[in-house]
Amino acid sequence: MDKKETEFLDEIKSKFKVDGKIQRKQRIWLSTDENKLVEIGKWLKDRGFVHLSAVSVTDWLEEGKYEITYHLWSYDDKILVTVKTKIDRTNPAIDSVAQIWKENAQIHERELHELFGVKFKGNQDLFPLFLDDWQGPAPFRKDFDWRDYVRGEFYDEENEREKVYYD
Amino acid sequence: MIEEMKSAPKGSEYDLYFGPAHPGSGNFGVKLKIDGEKVVSARADPGYLHRGFEKLMEYRTPIQNAVLSDRICILEPLNWNLIHAEAVDELMDIDVPERAKYLRVIMAELSRIQSHIIWYGVFSKGIGFDTGFKMAFGYRDYILDLFELITGGRVYPAGYICPGGVRRDFPKNAKEKILKVIDKINDMIKLEELENPSMDARAKGVGILKVEDAIRLGATGPVLRGSGMNTDVRKDEPYEIYDRLDFEVPIRKEGDAYARYWIGIEEMKESIKIVKQALENLPMGNVIVSNFKKPKLNVKIPEGEVYIRNEVARGEAAVYMVSDGGSNPYRCKIRGPDFLHMIPVLEYLLKGVQIADVPAIYWSLNICPADMDR
Amino acid sequence: MVRTMVKRSKKAKTMRKLIKAIWIFNWFNSCGFAELVPVVGSRWDMERFGMIIVGTPRHADVLFIAGYQTLKSIKRAKRVYEQMAEPRVVIALGSCTMTGGMYWDSYNTIKRLEDYLPVTMYIPGCPPRPEAIFEACEKIFEHVKELE
Repeated sequence: MDKKETEFLDEIKSKFKVDGKIQRKQRIWLSTDENKLVEIGKWLKDRGFVHLSAVSVTDWLEEGKYEITYHLWSYDDKILVTVKTKIDRTNPAIDSVAQIWKENAQIHERELHELFGVKFKGNQDLFPLFLDDWQGPAPFRKDFDWRDYVRGEFYDEENEREKVYYD
Repeated sequence: MIEEMKSAPKGSEYDLYFGPAHPGSGNFGVKLKIDGEKVVSARADPGYLHRGFEKLMEYRTPIQNAVLSDRICILEPLNWNLIHAEAVDELMDIDVPERAKYLRVIMAELSRIQSHIIWYGVFSKGIGFDTGFKMAFGYRDYILDLFELITGGRVYPAGYICPGGVRRDFPKNAKEKILKVIDKINDMIKLEELENPSMDARAKGVGILKVEDAIRLGATGPVLRGSGMNTDVRKDEPYEIYDRLDFEVPIRKEGDAYARYWIGIEEMKESIKIVKQALENLPMGNVIVSNFKKPKLNVKIPEGEVYIRNEVARGEAAVYMVSDGGSNPYRCKIRGPDFLHMIPVLEYLLKGVQIADVPAIYWSLNICPADMDR
Repeated sequence: MVRTMVKRSKKAKTMRKLIKAIWIFNWFNSCGFAELVPVVGSRWDMERFGMIIVGTPRHADVLFIAGYQTLKSIKRAKRVYEQMAEPRVVIALGSCTMTGGMYWDSYNTIKRLEDYLPVTMYIPGCPPRPEAIFEACEKIFEHVKELE
């Protein structure tokens, strides 16, 4: 394991209250509180993590939480840091990081707003991206079963050819 | 006169729809606001190819997902095969056999060459140079024939690169055939490098993207390198056998459409170098670990999460895979390079250009709508 | 050997009988692009049969629906179809237009194209090979003759 990963982890742990681990070379996972996120993000951006590789939401249905992950890459240090935070699932809202990573974060958040229904406070443009007049629930939530939906919407159990889809 | 035109009333603005059935756009639309010949603002309109891969993968096991992952990006299926396989490998802690690593790299680089050829073809078409288009798609078929020989499918390899290695070994005469095809591609590159007045006139100085803007907008891959940033995932965090190979990362400072096109040509040369080296040093042995030899549907993935980055032809691709210990991945986030190239970067670049330059800029970003919508 | 030559020349004769060239409007969704563009390219070159891809549906005789349609793109495909002049033919490419194919459980793709557009012919495959597309085109020639 390289020195730079441990150095980075020590540095951020001395500044903020975060849990962190080094998974392997060039991979660091941090988890933090929801209200600390913007502060940590600003510090990380100044530290060289200018590239927001991806933003993702994991839906932990049993726990009743959404886990939001920000994957950040530093072109100088060549390490990837993932910052994780958990928010409530029933009424998901979180501060936007679009003020830090600008358009890059903005478009990721716009996508997640549509697919998971997460509200990003401070993001100006959360207009639907992929779907035209979608009426149903946020499609990527775990409690929305696609197979049930598809069977009801598109297929016919009576049809000889389409019986297999009901197994 | 010019002052008059500048202060023309707002009514002279109108909307122009570029796509989704435009012959040069693919399934992707851009709503342009036009004033005279000038684009005032652009707004991307994606979603024509949205299938929801991320959730389709949650319903399937890794073996099924290997086949599904081909379809994420239609123009470079093998690279996406590779990245999915790597994610499962790391989660399950599989030690991939040496020979399989070499085969994976050879196939991924051939796929990259093939994708860059398409790029050259459609870019030529975009700037009105039809000979380039016909030439490119003629030469691409040589590589598709290779894919058919090795994987069984012309376009989709049907999960050739799967968790644990690759599905089957090279046939007997594959090495010679690959070398022969590579010679032909070399000939094509020589033709493409010839001085081309229409390329100079249409692509130079068009769609300039400065490096700080490129980073802010999230550009990666050839687009970022065309702006002068020295970065390549294959060098920054070498996966498979890339740390043992000798290749360079082409960089260009200008940041215009021509620079990006030039990067594409140079990258093909580097890929050819890689394929030749890998073929020379190809070790003997197994190509797949024993417990994946016969595809089993209910293999349990250990609990954990990984974030895998790869360099595909269009830029940085990544998969974030979470497993809760079941046989299906719990969550699989796919980060396609074109998601950022096609929405923020394109919207930014189209602002203030002439309508005639729109196709040149559009195709210089090496665009594939399928991996944007997923 | 002799037999095949006879067969070929017979095929060539029917081809020569055609007076009208087929103009195609290509509504390609993903794999349609990957496999239909080679047909336009120099190796397969559909132009030798007089088939060309046109830029507007108003000039087209044949509409190629290549690949799965999402709920968003089928609306546009319908609009394209409405703009075409009679006689018009719709050819659907790929398994995904027939049953949903790979994406049978996706919430956003349509499963049977015939529910939305009058499909004349399906070409199975994921994606179909260029030879299959040519065979289909040969059949359209016949079909167009019947229409006239």
